Amino acid sequence: MLDPLGMSAAVPDAATAGGPLLPKAPHFPGKAKAVIHIFAQGAPSHVDTWDPKATLNKHDGKSIGIEGGVAMGSPFAFQRYGKSGTEVSELFAKTAQHADDLAVVRSMYTDIPAHDVATVFMNTGSLRITRPSLGSWTVYGLGTENQNLPGFISLRGNRIPVGGATTYGSAFLPGVYQGSSVNTSAQTVQQMIQNIRNAYVSKTEQRRQLDFVHQLNQLHSKTLASEAALESRLESYEIAFRMQTEATDVFDINKEPADVRAAYGNTQQGKQLLIARRLVERGVRFVQVWHDGWDHHQDLADRITQKAGEIDQPLAALIADLKLRGMLDSTLVIWGGEFGRKPTRDRNGGDNPGRDHNAKAFSIVMAGGGVKGGIVHGTTDEFGNAAVHDKVHVHDLHATVLHCLGFDHTRLTYRYNGRDFRLTDVSGNVVKGILA
Amino acid sequence: MPTPDARRSDRRRGCALAAAVAQASWAIGVVALLGATTVAGRAAAPASVPAISATDAAFFDTRIRPVLSDQCFKCHSHSADRIKGGLMLDSQAGLLQGGNSGPALVAGKPDESLLIQAIRYTDEELRMPPASHGGKLTDAQIADFEEWVKRGAPDPRVPASASGGAQYAGVGKKHWSFQPLKKPALPKVESNLWIQSPVDAFVYARLDAAGLRPSPLADKRTLIRRATFDLIGLPPTEAEIQAFLADTSPDAFAKVVDRLLASPHYGERWARYWMDVARYSDTKGDPPRRDDPRFPYAWTYRDYLISSFNADKPYAQFVTEQLAADILLKNAGAQTKAKKQPPPQDQTTLAALGFLRLGNQHDGRRNDIIDDRIDVTSKAFLGLTVSCARCHDHKFDPIPTADYYSLYGVFANTQEPAGVFREPTLQLMMQRTPDLVDYLAKSQALQKQAGELQAKFLEMRRNRERDPQKRRELVRSEGVLQRDIANLEITHPGAPARAHVVIDVPKPKDYPILNRGEAQNTGAMVPRRFLEILSPNPKKREVWRTGSGRLELAAAITDPKNPITARVLVNRIWQQHFGTGLIATPDDLGNMGGLPTHPELLDWLAASFNESGGSIKQLHRTMLLSSTYQQQSLANEAGMAADPDNHLLWRANLRRLDFEQVYDSLLSIAGTLDPTLGGKPVTPSSAGFGHRRAVYFYIDRRNPPELLTQFDFPNPDTPSGTRYHTTVPQQALFLMNSPLVIETARKLTHQPSFSDLSSDQSRVRSLYLTIFQRAPTDAEVALGLAYVRANPTGLDLDVPQTPGMKAALNKRRNQRQAMAAAAGMRGMDQRPIGANVENGGPMDAWTKLAHALFQTNEAMYVN
Repeated sequence: MLDPLGMSAAVPDAATAGGPLLPKAPHFPGKAKAVIHIFAQGAPSHVDTWDPKATLNKHDGKSIGIEGGVAMGSPFAFQRYGKSGTEVSELFAKTAQHADDLAVVRSMYTDIPAHDVATVFMNTGSLRITRPSLGSWTVYGLGTENQNLPGFISLRGNRIPVGGATTYGSAFLPGVYQGSSVNTSAQTVQQMIQNIRNAYVSKTEQRRQLDFVHQLNQLHSKTLASEAALESRLESYEIAFRMQTEATDVFDINKEPADVRAAYGNTQQGKQLLIARRLVERGVRFVQVWHDGWDHHQDLADRITQKAGEIDQPLAALIADLKLRGMLDSTLVIWGGEFGRKPTRDRNGGDNPGRDHNAKAFSIVMAGGGVKGGIVHGTTDEFGNAAVHDKVHVHDLHATVLHCLGFDHTRLTYRYNGRDFRLTDVSGNVVKGILA
Repeated sequence: MPTPDARRSDRRRGCALAAAVAQASWAIGVVALLGATTVAGRAAAPASVPAISATDAAFFDTRIRPVLSDQCFKCHSHSADRIKGGLMLDSQAGLLQGGNSGPALVAGKPDESLLIQAIRYTDEELRMPPASHGGKLTDAQIADFEEWVKRGAPDPRVPASASGGAQYAGVGKKHWSFQPLKKPALPKVESNLWIQSPVDAFVYARLDAAGLRPSPLADKRTLIRRATFDLIGLPPTEAEIQAFLADTSPDAFAKVVDRLLASPHYGERWARYWMDVARYSDTKGDPPRRDDPRFPYAWTYRDYLISSFNADKPYAQFVTEQLAADILLKNAGAQTKAKKQPPPQDQTTLAALGFLRLGNQHDGRRNDIIDDRIDVTSKAFLGLTVSCARCHDHKFDPIPTADYYSLYGVFANTQEPAGVFREPTLQLMMQRTPDLVDYLAKSQALQKQAGELQAKFLEMRRNRERDPQKRRELVRSEGVLQRDIANLEITHPGAPARAHVVIDVPKPKDYPILNRGEAQNTGAMVPRRFLEILSPNPKKREVWRTGSGRLELAAAITDPKNPITARVLVNRIWQQHFGTGLIATPDDLGNMGGLPTHPELLDWLAASFNESGGSIKQLHRTMLLSSTYQQQSLANEAGMAADPDNHLLWRANLRRLDFEQVYDSLLSIAGTLDPTLGGKPVTPSSAGFGHRRAVYFYIDRRNPPELLTQFDFPNPDTPSGTRYHTTVPQQALFLMNSPLVIETARKLTHQPSFSDLSSDQSRVRSLYLTIFQRAPTDAEVALGLAYVRANPTGLDLDVPQTPGMKAALNKRRNQRQAMAAAAGMRGMDQRPIGANVENGGPMDAWTKLAHALFQTNEAMYVN
């Protein structure tokens, strides 16, 4: 059999380790044990949130020679927070209270400013061909701490995320590493994880039935020889069986004290982030959180106020909560979208302008799990049109996340079709400047 | 600073890329790699351009080209508004020739190359890109350029034409899918019994060359199960299996295929695939303000698809109707009028225009709606991502922004009727039933209201009234009115079925390019015409002047000289029969898509498809009546070692049933499937699945049913030619715990044909026949018997209930009824599908056995 890890021998082969989801040691001790990736889909405007541009404001309404556009100053006030004095917009005033725990990367850039492509790119490092997602690579490399829950859970609202299952899928990695998508806008746990309860038989009887099903499957697979898909399916049944006890609990935020729920806020995003914390607390390795609706071509002032308002308090509460529980150091929290927006007015906006897509600059905010707090990394030009110093490409971000988890991104590989694949393809440099 | 590590990894890049390329094209040798390997010197190119290596081409395409086009082309290319310094970087000739300061590079010598000096920012006079245009490149990018020049600056780009000018040089024109479609000769293979059809000859030749043997044919039960699921999406009945087993004639399987193709269920199955491609939904996603979020008549498009597949409509007609049914009907009307005949009464084909209409409405943003139509048209029919060229020339395919705006012009000259009452009815004349009379009265009342409201809006505008309170009220009443109208159309029994259509604007005109996709940043005017790369005569493309150009667009797409249309369609059909397409990316046959595993086979099928007049049913026959399709799926060592992913088709692929197949087979096995064809959508509810097939589900693109989502239902906002295949615990939970599955198992075991069976062995056998469509082996009978006999409550079909159980069941029943009533009042049902199916009480041993069988791999896979 081929070594599925190519040149890296640091990650044990699933088959020899007793279970593909059991915890595994990374290449070197990583500070982060878990990741919460809050994906602000739609491409949030960086110059209104994390990247203040005084020069842009000065030129508001004037042509600034950028692609013939008219400058649109930010309608939002920025101020300095914390000892570090990081400047943050009033839109994130609550999160900014933790400025000294935040690493703000202002020099992100990506390849293609189209939502679907860039969203998939941010989550898989691939523009077109289907590749494993960041979360799948993480669980493939590290396994997970809680065998009663999937190692990678994707929390979403009613809509299927842009890019669909590609953004949390495992592609050619074994199916057990893919994300399980959960709709947290559902009212009850029974609606979030449908059919989590069996109203007919006891656990013992169900176990007996499941063992019988496995026996039948074994007989059947003798006529088919080994099939990776079928093995993944067996794993999924076992996780499903074990989930029945644990999932009803972990997704039920009513188990949290009222003051904790109030701190996160009684909203969809508050609920999502509180569930994310509960998942990580119980050993889930990677939690992806979808917060869509950031595509503000028009009515930016109103709409971004609404979107930021939805996430600011929950995000602040999450950081505070993780810190209080001593979990922040080992949990990497990432907030950001798929690209940024132009400093100029989107000409579709009329009297209520917005901003158009911009792949050349955007901001990402990170906290905990191996990144330095209270720092700003990289800069964009005076208008925020393009990242200019210490530029960080999406591949670089991925390399850095893997580094925080204890992986050399060039050595976390999987052999498929005769070639070693990795998350960062043939690129990526760890952003050393933001490491703790 | 580039660290030594970074430099090392730069060099590795080359190797890894070569490996990637080798991987992508391994099955067919290097086929026109990124359009690069066969570049020959031409026109302004230097006298001899050696064919460059795959590694170098890939290095250029991924590391150099994107930087050039992003950072430099704005001032240094044919597309620049004003070329700066006389330097053009969009061709190798341009680089070598250089600008006012002399040649931009000296191959092999980075330190002597002006280009490198400029990007290093070491010379104060010469710093590129300037701060105003992105500023200094990253160290890694600079290192890439140094490495590239050191290698001799290998440049795979097709030389720009000698005339230069504003012509877009294009990328990737040599790509295989843009080359003319010719019917290849059958490969010469030793004749043998395995080869039944031309398909087999192609497949066998490839296998033979790789030293592999095809697999023997599957047994008849496996075969009929496979074909039945494939063609009608349902399992075969025992009677159908028996008939096939009894038929020993050589064309027994052909008869099965013909029977299935003639079944009306065939259309239901294959319409669903097309609905994925056509990003079908019953709702608008992001409707414009004040609009109702529903498409009341999306379902007439779905029914159009079902009947088109069932009728084996010639593909060209199928395409044309979806783009221009209104124009076809108008032309037909003009003809009948000339003959002084009444106009066609049946306007059902108008529903085909749902293809263009049923996308996300993007808050009413016109340009985004047009973009959606360009996207769905180009992906569905041409397998190209034309919408990538909205803001800039396509980075990987020869699709200039100008071409995007040629199609933009087509759809910008296309509009929708104002309001659902203006949407045409499927029948011109209707019988005056009491329902219709009632409907007409109600709709007229609503139309009157709409008119009054409109008048009030106009009055406000005329008087320049700015009373926000009054305005808010008007807006609110319009929202209510829109909802009332949609409710009437959706629920009134007399409401005549309509089509969501598009029509041409009264005075069509050309549109300019929108630079960077910005609405008012207009560039040059472009005529409405077809994509250059797919035009039979690119230099003299026909300009479309009459109407929007949709009919002409359809003609260009379906022109047999168009090299890509048939390839795309043939690949879509192949994929559904074999698990993977001959090209793995059915919506992208461009340079970023996969390469065909069997290019000659693909072309042979595509050419034959054209010859057949675009008969999809004939295509199914060609594929299914091959040994390639009929092989067994059993793996063997030689195959697994040489080709584990079965690219060469040495066996049949094991395929998981999709959601619709799982759902429909549960209904079919329980005997509760309603065979009615077409009609209004059904809302899957917690009270059960109902009895209609899954294709009839009401799909809200903002909130698709959770269960479908867990089984990889695609995002209905974008065209999806493939479904992702996940294996997540929620799928297992559905089969383990859903009352729907358990009660289906109970229905099976409590019907007389099962409960009357006298022996336990025959009961096990009966369940195998129903659920797996095969008899159990002795070992399986023994295992099944052991399982039921170990049941704690014995073997009786009636399990006595304790008072506690009874009370619990009653309580649940009451809760269920209360919830259903509440949901009914809200008009929505958020509970999981099937969660409130009547709980029939404790499970007996046999129901547990049937339930177990539903959970096995065998029930969930086609082998």
